[in-house]
Amino acid sequence: MNQPIIQAENVGKIFPGGGGGLWRPAPPDVRAVDGVSFEMTRGETLAVVGESGCGKSTLGRLLLRLIEPSSGRVLIEGTDITTLSGAEMRQMRRKVQMVFQDPYGSLSPRRTIAQLIAEPLQVFGLVKNRRQMRERVAELLTQVGLPPSVMDRNPRQFSGGQRQRIGIARALSVDPSFIVADEPVSALDVSIQAQIINLMQDLQQEKQFSFLFIAHDLAVVRHIAHRVAVMYLGQVMEIGTKRQIYEVPQHPYTQALLSAAPEARLDRPYRRIVLKGDVPSPTAVPEGCSFHTRCPLAQGICRVERPPLAQVAPGQMAACHFAAPNSLGVAAAGPSLDKSNSPRARA
Amino acid sequence: MSAPLLNVQGLCVEFGPKAAPIRVINDVNLRVDPGEAVGIVGESGSGKSITSLSILRLVPEPPSRIAAGSITFEGRDLLAMPKSQLRHMRGRDIAMIFQEPMSSLNPVMTVEAQIGEAIMLHERMSRAERRARVIQLLRLVGIPDPESRLKAYPHQFSGGMRQRVMIAIAVACNPKLLIADEPTTALDVTIQAQVLDLMKDVREKLNTAILLISHDLGVIAEVCERVLVMYAGHVVEDADIRSLFENPKHPYTRGLLRAVPSLTDERSRLYQIPGSVPQAGSIKQGCPFYARCDLRQNICAQTMPAMSRHSSSHQAACWVTQNLSEVRSA
Amino acid sequence: MATIEQDFAPPEPGLSQRLRRVFFGRTATVIATITVALFIFVAAFAPWLAPYDPMAQSFISINKPPSWEHWLGTDQFGRDVLSRMIWGSRNSLIFGFLSPVLAALIGGTLGVLSGYFGGILDRIVTRLVDMLLSFPELLLAILVAAALGGGFWNVVAVLTVAFTPGFARVARATTLSVKQEPYIESAIAAGVRTPVIILRHVVPNIMAPIVVLMTLWAASSIRLEATLSFLGIGTQPPAPSWGNIIREGLANIFATSWPIIAGGLAITIVVLAISIIGDQVRDELDPEIN
Repeated sequence: MNQPIIQAENVGKIFPGGGGGLWRPAPPDVRAVDGVSFEMTRGETLAVVGESGCGKSTLGRLLLRLIEPSSGRVLIEGTDITTLSGAEMRQMRRKVQMVFQDPYGSLSPRRTIAQLIAEPLQVFGLVKNRRQMRERVAELLTQVGLPPSVMDRNPRQFSGGQRQRIGIARALSVDPSFIVADEPVSALDVSIQAQIINLMQDLQQEKQFSFLFIAHDLAVVRHIAHRVAVMYLGQVMEIGTKRQIYEVPQHPYTQALLSAAPEARLDRPYRRIVLKGDVPSPTAVPEGCSFHTRCPLAQGICRVERPPLAQVAPGQMAACHFAAPNSLGVAAAGPSLDKSNSPRARA
Repeated sequence: MSAPLLNVQGLCVEFGPKAAPIRVINDVNLRVDPGEAVGIVGESGSGKSITSLSILRLVPEPPSRIAAGSITFEGRDLLAMPKSQLRHMRGRDIAMIFQEPMSSLNPVMTVEAQIGEAIMLHERMSRAERRARVIQLLRLVGIPDPESRLKAYPHQFSGGMRQRVMIAIAVACNPKLLIADEPTTALDVTIQAQVLDLMKDVREKLNTAILLISHDLGVIAEVCERVLVMYAGHVVEDADIRSLFENPKHPYTRGLLRAVPSLTDERSRLYQIPGSVPQAGSIKQGCPFYARCDLRQNICAQTMPAMSRHSSSHQAACWVTQNLSEVRSA
Repeated sequence: MATIEQDFAPPEPGLSQRLRRVFFGRTATVIATITVALFIFVAAFAPWLAPYDPMAQSFISINKPPSWEHWLGTDQFGRDVLSRMIWGSRNSLIFGFLSPVLAALIGGTLGVLSGYFGGILDRIVTRLVDMLLSFPELLLAILVAAALGGGFWNVVAVLTVAFTPGFARVARATTLSVKQEPYIESAIAAGVRTPVIILRHVVPNIMAPIVVLMTLWAASSIRLEATLSFLGIGTQPPAPSWGNIIREGLANIFATSWPIIAGGLAITIVVLAISIIGDQVRDELDPEIN
């Protein structure tokens, strides 16, 4: 087995609520990410899915130390990046790059495409002169499916999908071994999403970087991930291979997410379960299992004791006292299960 | 065939100066029967939102204007109607909900006051009656313990709850048509499922017709029986949902259905529609999908095809598939 | 890798084209631009343009109305008013542009640094700015002049100090919002050094409001120079400036009103023209509009 490229060990982040004033109480701390551990090998795509506020974007930034972790360690190719100095961390950034969600905001508006793509190259002195720089930019543009002739234009002139290609070219420019993509297609039109997903998939197969793909859309994830981690209120609820998560989900939350995703087809692949209530605020994570307030299977123990993330099958871990394959019965016969519009179970 | 509730014929909407207008909606026909749920699906710039706003004449004039077409609601011409009369219909006969549940609610008014205001505009009743009605509405939209939430302000609700309040306001006067423009786009999947269920529920209980605008065919499939596919200001396909999924006739719809990733399918690569979504009004001649179409022929670049009927409930605007089905039926 | 069919938006206007739009966009701006250019030309070539020595007194022609020899007449010492106006435009204009530029440099730097880094630096800068803003700039100028004496450089220094907090505040506020933009995080993630991020990604994106503020202050600066000179603490007589032309003219108003009219008109026209250009710059550079 390869040496892991990325190791997250018990990574956590608490955003302090800030000092209270004279007249108001201190706002509560936000527990954004809480004790997350996993490993990724070379050429692997791990998707992190969850609803808004689950801490998936914060986790991505912790792994790149764009946010300082409050606890835990992050190892990149064996080096603990949480203890690196500023200068050392900057050198490390040659190995780790990021693709952002917002194709409109993430490209500096007053720079040309060539300047944007070449910026990481120049930071690390990978191009010696202007000619070399332009050659490399042209090569990168071709790789992401854009004609090199556009390199002197402004980001404003590009559509969302084209800008996301530019963002990908920028991340790829230094040939990193790890890329974090934070919801890279969620801001794009449906017909453009497929282009970008395919592009990232192709590039990953070709370059074999480890790829952390953050998303809220389980259908998108199914296409691109090798493994999937499901997060809820800062914690990993379930992690496993794509097959395990989609066919034998063991955590009730995973199952609820699968069943809630709208599908553009007539026969629902998963029996429909509608969860009660809202996601609790990350400033007030419930005691015990954080999912118990919405869980159809919750028992007394769930309210008091938080279940650890434990192995439930080889390569699959779930944080549930009652973890069992398909415990809510959403996927009774595997993914091609009920062809008929089955009666809806209400939780 | 029953009389349509809403009938939009040949609607064209233009932006910009009259001398050089940008046509963002082109010859849109849309019919909603009483109690029916119809979806409009399209990407950014497809004109789906402008279409829905035009119905209540909510498109800002200027810079935009309705250049041609007719919109009738229960036989009455909405375009010819004076603004005062139209205002009277908004909320009472036709209600709207929008994508942003936060900005659509007034942050300094209680929930009771906001729902009460909607009732007051169209119905005369005592304060106590009104309160009872508000509680009943809140219960209808699934807000737990409505009595205690009357005095709450919008910021005290979560996104999903706010959208429920918006729906309560929308259905306060039992409208005959509810227009929902991307009502769940800002919400999480588990909350989206709740809101979609609620819309189906409201429709069942109040027999309200629904016009649901979304970029997500999956969302529309949850709620609607019929769907219009819009592209670059044109309706390119109009079909009942089953027929659309089983046998899409327009190459854009086909591409879209194949490009959308699915929870279950194991394809290693997604089908991709090449190119970019055209900007509104940028295509002046021929089929707007021509540049991205894999079935295109010469005629497509010249002339926009008319809608051709493939079955009683299925029509599409495509030269190629129209001829194919003619060949097959011959 | 298959290249897909592309359709791109038409190329955007370049910087030179946009600058041209700033200055020649509307008729009013064209006139304003020409006016300011004319005044600058006159100030620059004062020695060649002025028909007389602005200091030369002549007792035989005192308080003369306009004539072919003296287009704007003469003052109570028999000095040619037109020549004094032309030479005076140097002091007034240099003054008008120097303080805003210096203040933009100092205030902008302080504001960007405090906005970007926050923390204790931000607190100190914010307090300092609040403190300075609570003094009216005119009062501040009078105070300093009283303590150090008048004179060109003292007044420039005073007004620079008075204008600095405005720039610091605007620079800080825009930096705070630019810092939230994803492209800043993108630059950090790419490994770019902090000073480079500030110079390359922050500064160009906060320039628009700074430039607009500069044009606003340029107008008030010319006005303030006149005021201070009028009060006798700006440019020291007998050196001419528009302000002390008015001041001396006022003492002599019953003999001849031409110095006051000339000085007042010049100030009004320049201030108005600069303000019009400032508005156009704001419309053109505002990133929200583009």
